[in-house]
Amino acid sequence: MNTLMYDTYTIFWRELKRYKKSRSGVLIRLIQPAIWIIVIGNTFSGTQPLIQSVGFQGEYIEFMTPGVIILTAIFTSIFGGVNTLWDRRYGFMNKALTSPISRSAIALGKMSAISLISALQASLIIGIALAIGVNFPNPIMIIPIMGIVILFSLGFSGISVMVAATAKSQETFWGVINFLGMPLFMISPALFPLELLPDWLAMIAKLNPVTYTILLVREMMTGVSEGGIPIIISLGVLFAFVIVMAGIASYVFTREVNRPF
Amino acid sequence: MRSNVLYSIETKSLTKSFGDETAVNDISLSVEDGEIFGFLGPNGAGKSTTIMILTTLLKPTSGQALISSFDVATNAKQVRQNIGYVQQEITVDEYLTGRENLLLQAKLNHIPKNEIDKRIDEILTLIELTDKQDKTVVTYSGGMRKRLDIAGGLLHRPKVLFLDEPTVGLDIQTRRKIWQYIKKIHDEFKMTIFLTTHYMEEADQLCDRIGIIDDGKIQVIDSPENLKKAMGNEVISIIFEEGENRDSFLSELEKIEFVNKINKDGSKLTLFASNGTEVIPKIFYISSKLNIKITSISLTQPTLDDVFISYTGHEIRDGDSKFNQKREHAKMKRLRA
Repeated sequence: MNTLMYDTYTIFWRELKRYKKSRSGVLIRLIQPAIWIIVIGNTFSGTQPLIQSVGFQGEYIEFMTPGVIILTAIFTSIFGGVNTLWDRRYGFMNKALTSPISRSAIALGKMSAISLISALQASLIIGIALAIGVNFPNPIMIIPIMGIVILFSLGFSGISVMVAATAKSQETFWGVINFLGMPLFMISPALFPLELLPDWLAMIAKLNPVTYTILLVREMMTGVSEGGIPIIISLGVLFAFVIVMAGIASYVFTREVNRPF
Repeated sequence: MRSNVLYSIETKSLTKSFGDETAVNDISLSVEDGEIFGFLGPNGAGKSTTIMILTTLLKPTSGQALISSFDVATNAKQVRQNIGYVQQEITVDEYLTGRENLLLQAKLNHIPKNEIDKRIDEILTLIELTDKQDKTVVTYSGGMRKRLDIAGGLLHRPKVLFLDEPTVGLDIQTRRKIWQYIKKIHDEFKMTIFLTTHYMEEADQLCDRIGIIDDGKIQVIDSPENLKKAMGNEVISIIFEEGENRDSFLSELEKIEFVNKINKDGSKLTLFASNGTEVIPKIFYISSKLNIKITSISLTQPTLDDVFISYTGHEIRDGDSKFNQKREHAKMKRLRA
């Protein structure tokens, strides 16, 4: 167990080192969520009565900011595993595979690094939201929000690492990732309250871990609980999601990297 | 008799097939502790596949391979603790500094924390990169990258170091320098080295013993000296203009006294003879009698090239046979799948 943690940290350290030295993408990746907040947030500002009908008092932009924070987390973490393909192509993977560290540690180390990077991106988005005047009644809540984002991204990066280990090419990876990312974001209360979704869509949304994460972040940011789902349930779902994803991702990753590339 | 000899690497009828292609075909060999053993063969001969089995990256289809008496298939973890593997491609991380690359390598291989710095300093001195250690690898030359890569493979002092084509793609001066470093680290750490190469000179310079491999099969294993000695004394190379008397020319040549073996490769002939200086006049006599025009003729001491030709029937060339093309094609298809 100790060794697994040490090895996971080794890979985590390596991923962050690489990230630090190749940061050119950070700002570019912020542009898209910023556009979401500014454009969608203002375009739909007229939907305020709809939002208020489910008990939310603020402006639409305040309602949807948590959705955009999680949007950032979804895409940062689901894209994050792509360097697994480079590692396999350019030999780092073989180097790690012939060393005594376990395969699970490689997967878990990558996942934790992605999760931290994702939290960094999300915190920058919170900064942008504050800068354009989104109301944040209780700034201290940023700490638990970051905790939620880290947990959520840890689970979500598992998807990315798994797909990257299974896909033998960039094309396959991006195809699968794009197929997964957008629907998981759309079928959730990111942009509109759960209550306003048609029943069948709300049903599907309740199977989506993104839903519970957004509800948690929204409650922490705005103080309004929405959807009638207690915090403890949302937290439970989130933790279960992370544990299950860490397990499945380690298993699938181990199985796939033991096959010739 | 073998009880007092320790083997670092032992394979028994090792075989690896991909579909109906057999990449490694029934390879049995033993490498003693501290030996430098070279696998010599053209691209696609099965060298890298063998290394990938020995380093636990691929499972053998049949047969067995032991590293320090641990089975690569069933005791992979112990095998990994005993090996260092330097891949054919340069795998150091360009974004990291030289020192960071070694630090990563040290952590991957569980070097005790309090020893890491000392080991890294020591190895940096050995490969003469101390001055550049804090520069990112992007600024390194190809030779420096390779040195760093090799250093990473031996930082944890493995019992067996695998070097897959250690100098491929480097210019000739850099290649010679890398050879010096390999000799230096071998003198220093006395580990077993298993290397693959398709450069004759490399095998000749570095290896205690060589296994010539072609089409997945070992043709011969011996020291470079013995291999050359076994060739007979001299090598006569002839290039001639092909004509109608070609066949009788060849059969006449075979009858010359002292000629042990003739290899034919189009209009190029290689004769292995024990007394070359006396054979040459006879060749000219036969050629003028048969009206064959000899374009050039030379007499040399046997090189490893000649050894290779005599065992495989062809020169080392990169992927020139149909068979290799087919294999490469199959490999591409697997990669794409």
